[in-house]
Amino acid sequence: MKTLPIIIFGIAVLAQWAAPLSQIWTHEQVLANGTLIKLKCGAPDPYDPLRGRYLALRPSQSEAPVPAGVELKEGMQAYAVLTTGADGFATVSTLSLTPPASGDYLRVKTGYVYNDKSRIDWPFDRFYLNENLAPEADKWFAENIRSAQGITAEVRVLKGRAVLADLSLDGKPFREILKARVK
Amino acid sequence: MNTSHQRWLLEQLPQWEREGLLTADAARTLRERNAVDESQPGLAQIVMGALGALLIGTGLIAVIGYNWDDFSRPVRLLFAFLPLLLTQLFSFRVLQRGAASSAWVRETAALLQTLATGACIALVSQIYNLGGEWPDFLFGWFMLSLPLVWVLRSHAVAIFYLIAIAIWSVNQVGHGRPWFDSPLLYPLLLLGLLPYWPGWKNQAALSISVRWAMTISAIFGFCSVAVFVSARGGDSYGYDDQSFLWLWTLTAAAFVLFPLNRNGIEEPTRRKPQVVLGSLWLLGYGVAATFHDVSEDILSGALHALRLPWCCGLLTVLVVFVLLAAARRRWAVLAIASVALLPLLSFPFAQHKDGYDGTLLSWLATLHLAVIGITLIVLEFAGKKGAPRLGALLLSVLIIARMADSHFSLLAKGVAFIGVGVAFLVFNILMSRLLKQKQATLV
Repeated sequence: MKTLPIIIFGIAVLAQWAAPLSQIWTHEQVLANGTLIKLKCGAPDPYDPLRGRYLALRPSQSEAPVPAGVELKEGMQAYAVLTTGADGFATVSTLSLTPPASGDYLRVKTGYVYNDKSRIDWPFDRFYLNENLAPEADKWFAENIRSAQGITAEVRVLKGRAVLADLSLDGKPFREILKARVK
Repeated sequence: MNTSHQRWLLEQLPQWEREGLLTADAARTLRERNAVDESQPGLAQIVMGALGALLIGTGLIAVIGYNWDDFSRPVRLLFAFLPLLLTQLFSFRVLQRGAASSAWVRETAALLQTLATGACIALVSQIYNLGGEWPDFLFGWFMLSLPLVWVLRSHAVAIFYLIAIAIWSVNQVGHGRPWFDSPLLYPLLLLGLLPYWPGWKNQAALSISVRWAMTISAIFGFCSVAVFVSARGGDSYGYDDQSFLWLWTLTAAAFVLFPLNRNGIEEPTRRKPQVVLGSLWLLGYGVAATFHDVSEDILSGALHALRLPWCCGLLTVLVVFVLLAAARRRWAVLAIASVALLPLLSFPFAQHKDGYDGTLLSWLATLHLAVIGITLIVLEFAGKKGAPRLGALLLSVLIIARMADSHFSLLAKGVAFIGVGVAFLVFNILMSRLLKQKQATLV
């Protein structure tokens, strides 16, 4: 048996394990040690051919203030400083080019910048659902589209990274609500 | 002669020996000359192996897509890594057995491992609700699969890789992207297949399907680079289409002149997709350049393109390829490829105070294509390898193009078109008779 192909194969196998394991490690760290923040959002139901059905999250805050002196352009990486309001929901209070010394923050990509404001691309945009539950989520959104009800994204944040932990409605996991509707 | 022809010939030899058509010595010589390399997978084997692996792999992805959210995260992660581990062990076993493993088993193992890798990354991103763009996912997937092409020499994974890098490159055409996240990466990605390339440490010739996949991938990849580098500066978000059209033409010339070894040169043209597709583009471009207005656009596009570093790189590569082709006496491809360089010849004489006059380029293109057409016909009648029908077709298209661009009356144009049509049909009949006479002489 030739040595070189085996060495290359070994490196390939290691890389094939390392890529997903590094993702798992990073996200487990955020889930275990990150601060829980809540965001108001909407979530229609598209489909990914490789990863199945998911809810496309649209946090209700789509732009954030840019402080004077901070020069932001579209497509730049910025840090969104998070502030939790009296209602328990987090909002982006300001954007900066460097991570703040304290408090919770997220790494975001800036969109169109205008009038001291910038549109922001949130670092999470999908919540995967079982294919039996996804159509029920569609029905739920159709029924509640005119009501003031919005779902809450529960996000863990650590050192600028964010992991979407769950979606909830009035404190109940959205997935459980859908399961109850399917039964 | 390709493998299927060789197999057919080897099957006929015993019967021809029995019938006395061949002596035993002649049959042995033919067997030795046309020995089929059984380590190369047959088409049916590859298709069946690849189909099986594809079905299993897509089934796996569909099972993942169902989203087993009743199970805990660790159990679902086990679902992701178990198929990967099993396919890796299978591939290792195949690698260990070396030449004892048949070709289709090697193909199946490599494809299964590729699909299991994609499924694993997909499942992890599903479990952690990761967003991200699909091109990033595709990039990770094909990079992790590339070593399997090298070690298992899998044609199916090579084709997957070629398609994936082309899709990725086309998708990365966008303003303001850094070079390492743009189509400029494509040439490096294509180089990634180098150990698998023909001629690399005496590897066997590539199958026709891989050649076509490689050529089509390269067309999309290099054309997306040309578009990317032709981005207009400032606040404009457009691309200079006249520039990238000339860059595409230089790319086509490089394809046609791509260096080949002696065996490659002697193969029939239909087994060289880079020559077929490159020539088609160049001849079409040449005919377009015969139109006065188009030639002015070509000149202004070429002038803009010449300021781009990518264009300088392409021209350097072309010079090297031209020298190599001349050394191998590949005059036909050199003649066709030279169409791309006509704008350079026209520049010194075409400039005037308001811009460029396309008259010279238009006439140069007409003359050049006419010479190519006539040469292709004359070569055949001079007893050398020509392409008389292609030559006649080129001349006909050229006459039609010139007539369409002229200020003659409709009556004159109509008569000319009828004349060309009749001449083309008569030529076709003459060529058919000539071919029959040749065959009769051979019998």
